[in-house]
Amino acid sequence: MRLLLIEDDVMIGTGVRAALRQDGYVVDWVQDGAAAEAALAAEPAYALVLLDLGLPKKDGLALLESLRRRGKRIPVLIITARDAVADRVRGLDLGADDYLVKPFELDELGARIRALLRRHAGRAEPVVEFGGFRLDPSTRKVSYLGREVSVSAREFSLLSALLERPGRPLSRAQLEERLYGWGEEIASNSVEVHVHNLRRKLGERAIRTVRGAGYVIDEAEACRSAASSS
Amino acid sequence: MSIRRKLLVALLAALGVTGVAASGATWFEVRRQANQLFDYHLEQMALSLADQPLAASAALVPQLGLGQDYVVQVWDSGGVLAYISKNGAPLPPASSGFDDVGVDGEDWRVFTLEAPDRTIQVAAPAELRSGQATAMALRILVPILATIPVYGLIIWLIVGEGLRPLNQIARAIRRRQPASLEPLPQARLPEEVAPLVSELNALLARLREALDRQKRFTADAAHELRSPLTALQVQLDMLARARTPEENRAALEALRAGMKRAARLVEQMLTMARLEPEAQLAQPAAVALDALAAQVAGELEPLAEARRIELRLERLESVAVRGDATALHALARNLIDNAIRYAPAGGAVRLAAFAEDGSAFLVVEDDGPGIPPAERARVFDRFYRLPGSHAEGSGLGLAIARQVADAHGAEIALGDAAGGHGLRVTVRFKTA
Repeated sequence: MRLLLIEDDVMIGTGVRAALRQDGYVVDWVQDGAAAEAALAAEPAYALVLLDLGLPKKDGLALLESLRRRGKRIPVLIITARDAVADRVRGLDLGADDYLVKPFELDELGARIRALLRRHAGRAEPVVEFGGFRLDPSTRKVSYLGREVSVSAREFSLLSALLERPGRPLSRAQLEERLYGWGEEIASNSVEVHVHNLRRKLGERAIRTVRGAGYVIDEAEACRSAASSS
Repeated sequence: MSIRRKLLVALLAALGVTGVAASGATWFEVRRQANQLFDYHLEQMALSLADQPLAASAALVPQLGLGQDYVVQVWDSGGVLAYISKNGAPLPPASSGFDDVGVDGEDWRVFTLEAPDRTIQVAAPAELRSGQATAMALRILVPILATIPVYGLIIWLIVGEGLRPLNQIARAIRRRQPASLEPLPQARLPEEVAPLVSELNALLARLREALDRQKRFTADAAHELRSPLTALQVQLDMLARARTPEENRAALEALRAGMKRAARLVEQMLTMARLEPEAQLAQPAAVALDALAAQVAGELEPLAEARRIELRLERLESVAVRGDATALHALARNLIDNAIRYAPAGGAVRLAAFAEDGSAFLVVEDDGPGIPPAERARVFDRFYRLPGSHAEGSGLGLAIARQVADAHGAEIALGDAAGGHGLRVTVRFKTA
């Protein structure tokens, strides 16, 4: 899950990025409005934007406005020191999905991010359940066919990505976009390696390869697996 | 004591004293004149009696038209009382000239004329004369005393009328919200009260301004504290999450840096707040700029060393300005501290203090990124930070420097450093 963090305060940015990485997100961090605009234009794969308002070069609200004008539906969470009700109303009315006032606790930030991602995926329940999978984003625990499986952060991200729109395949490039931030070395076969490892833990049929399209988790496959294992 | 009562008492007392003094003076003057007149009268009578034969005196006295109060006595040369006018007791013999004598508890004025063949005495009761003087004095005193209540009433009314605007102002103030600093109404004020009210309004305006400034500062400060507090919160949360000794150490390190930043911001805010009220110079004294630069350089040496910045005291000449030593220290410290923070590692910060053209100069130069001309006016604003500059800057350093400079009537200018890149800050004090 790849997030764009737009924050001009170096200390806050450093801390938040580290925390979100620990949570398994891929985080790109920019420190001014212009860089944020460029990043949003170049990378289509962000699952969510964390937006500070008092930004150099281009104000956060202006950024948000132009983002929505271009029809982007990406969830935006405003993180700001502006705490007046009028500011919050303005931020939400301009298209933000949530508003968090500084100072905040990392746990709350994490919970709000999860809630936004969940709502954006069209789910109300916090736990993702599909195709025999059960993913809990808050504890980062995975169980498959009722059995708890331990997975790495990257593997969790990969499963989350595939379960974002269940049944729709994602290409290797799309998965890479979601799994790796800027400046991260990507081995040419890293997605394959993660898929391979997951299949080893979960069984061959947990993730299906769609020739020419990528990978998919589908309902039917899981049911068959469940039937065959019982 | 109220002005009205004070005026009333003072004016009426003055009036009373004046009246009494005037009538007293009149009394004395009238009596003196009356005395002269009476004495002349007595003398004339005596002389006219002396012109007559002794025997004729008795016949003459009634013709003189003397009042009943007068007494005339004539002694012959043998010292025998030859004649005494009908009323009154005999007067004792007296020597020639005027005399005051008492007979049977009554005061008499006597004139004695010694003619060759007789001695003539003419006398009148003293009371007759003072009576006239008293009547005259009373005629003056009574009208004056009678006017006192009238004057009192007039004073009471005029003073009340005159003080009415003051009462109105007092009422206006009483009716206000306690926190209201709106100006007082100034219409239709007597000219004695108008300056008071306009001064009061000026004071209120200054208060309002100071209060606004304070409010703005508090709001700004609260806003500005959010960033370091957020950083601290994030760093603290990261410390709590740390699972390995390395993560723990890194989180602690970050937290320590965050604390330092917050502490510095608070310290800067305090400096700013202390300078606040238009920085009235507390105790102007002679402050040597060269010594100040050297002192601050010494204080910041550890910071410079940590950043591998060389602090160069380039041109320190003996030059002093009059001002507040603490405030000037804050000015120098902020400028030099800024320079050290913005100079690149391994760079240099150059300091100079000198006198030129009737001015004293303090110059701080670094070889950092400098400030683009377009930003040079704004960087003096409180909490303004250059876009993309260090997070650790409080945004107050230059604001503090500007405030101190303003309070000292000094100019502070930003320019390019001598090398072409870097910032040169020049503070110019007028010494002439």
